[in-house]
Amino acid sequence: MSTVLIVTEIQNGSLREACYEVASLAQQIAAATGGSVKSLVMGQGVAALADEFSKKGGGDVFLAEGDALANHNAEAESKAIVAAVEASGADLVLIPSTPSGWDTAPRAAAALDAGFVSECFDISAEGGSITYKRRVFNGKLEATISASCDKVVASVQTGATTPFEGSSEGSVRKLDVSIGDLGTKFVEVKQAESKGVDLSKADVIVSGGRGVGTPEKFLEVIQPLADALGGAMGASRPVVDAGWLPHEYQVGSSGQVVQPKLYIACGISGAIQHLVGMKTSNYIIAINKDPDAPIFEVANLGVVADLLEIVPALTEALTAAKG
Amino acid sequence: MKIMVCLKQVPHQDARLDINADGTWIQEDNIKFEINSYDTYALEEALRTKDAGEADVFVVSIGPDRVGQALRTALGMGADRAIHVNDDEANGSDSLGLAKILAAVAKQENPDLIFMGLMSDDDNSAAVAPMLAQLLDIPHTTAAVKVERSNGTVTCDREIEGGAHEVVELTAPCLIAVQTGLNQVRYASLKGIMAAKKKPFDVKSVADLGLSGQVGTGAAKVKIDRIAPPLKGDTAEILSGSTAEVVAGLVSKIKELGLL
Repeated sequence: MSTVLIVTEIQNGSLREACYEVASLAQQIAAATGGSVKSLVMGQGVAALADEFSKKGGGDVFLAEGDALANHNAEAESKAIVAAVEASGADLVLIPSTPSGWDTAPRAAAALDAGFVSECFDISAEGGSITYKRRVFNGKLEATISASCDKVVASVQTGATTPFEGSSEGSVRKLDVSIGDLGTKFVEVKQAESKGVDLSKADVIVSGGRGVGTPEKFLEVIQPLADALGGAMGASRPVVDAGWLPHEYQVGSSGQVVQPKLYIACGISGAIQHLVGMKTSNYIIAINKDPDAPIFEVANLGVVADLLEIVPALTEALTAAKG
Repeated sequence: MKIMVCLKQVPHQDARLDINADGTWIQEDNIKFEINSYDTYALEEALRTKDAGEADVFVVSIGPDRVGQALRTALGMGADRAIHVNDDEANGSDSLGLAKILAAVAKQENPDLIFMGLMSDDDNSAAVAPMLAQLLDIPHTTAAVKVERSNGTVTCDREIEGGAHEVVELTAPCLIAVQTGLNQVRYASLKGIMAAKKKPFDVKSVADLGLSGQVGTGAAKVKIDRIAPPLKGDTAEILSGSTAEVVAGLVSKIKELGLL
């Protein structure tokens, strides 16, 4: 009998969609174990959101309000989560794995002396025990995890489940959290400066990863293919980290999220952060030497070969075909 | 100022990942290891602070004998001292167990700053850093892409979605879990590698840290039951053949999409 506590997150004045995705999982687990779903809403002046969530999957909502919770603050949120677990009797805490979630969740888990499972794409409660599934080795392998403790905190991969669309019954109750002195202070959010490269407008994007090998090869091999297709060049994170291309070329969760008509991924392994940035492209072609590269899981068409052989030949053939 | 840098030694990013006999991890016997990429940026950040004439940097890592190589590399890059927690009793620790070990080291050392990577390239949990901060009751931040210190405060830009940055101020002592690309990581110079041989290198056991019975497999709250390649569902149609044949297939598909 699991009491599941959903830890929510507010962004731009409303609850993030990820909260409803987590609610789907929470409701399934509660149903399977004959338990219940409760939630924690944190912020300043957010009683209406708490009320809404109690009816849309959150069940009984604990509302923690205060200046310290008005913006993201891992220390303050962690204290609120501990208070909510105590008040709700929860044994499973689910939190969306967003930049705020991954900042707070492990801290809260340690404060609760709980087991912690990070970025699950599935949690199942069949046969009386709960198992968690997540990816390891940058997306290459899947791990199935079990816990042997009283309490578990699990963060949930965004987009891994569909948002809850049902209803729930619950009341909102005020949660008193003694925050005390904090050594963490939120200052501001700086939006990304929009620079030259806007990949969102390109019909075709040809992206290169570590497999391209050198910055020179980006200009010699990747750019010409992009040009032949009238498209734009993009890059995976490791390429930008290595300083081969500036950040504005980065496709991924912390770069640009794109949906072109055609996305060609060259020498890109397919770590989750990259996939999040391009997997809704209309058509995906992947070229990679490694047949087990996770990129092939989202690609429509794949080539297992050396991109340095295939790409120049493809560019030449396209140029010839255009006449 | 004293800076602690936590390093993890992980399988090389191009290492072959074969599943081990009981299906709970990969085979580690015949592969290369390297310092976790995220931790290299953490070490570099600490060394830059040291270069500015302001700090002593010690590196810590947990694991078997092979971990010594990672620590010596770090010493070669410029760290002053290394601590290797080398004890079979630590095997099978979950993230919380690892954090407890690092916390015990930190309590002996009292660093002003702790740098480590956001996550490890193998486990990808991104858990140990925030847990360590909680156990030490110090503030922390994660995914730092910029770090500035002044007068007992550390201001960090942390990476959030879409290229935006959240700015956070932490009072020292604090812990910063860094994102890749925070800086450009240096190579160990030959001079540095030679000097490393004379730098202090302490080996500690779980008992030395007062943690007997509190870490390792027995104390772990979560464990991996099974690890396996993902099921190949409806994945890509794979084009095979000679380069010419493959290219012809690609051109044909591109034409079909109306993009030629």
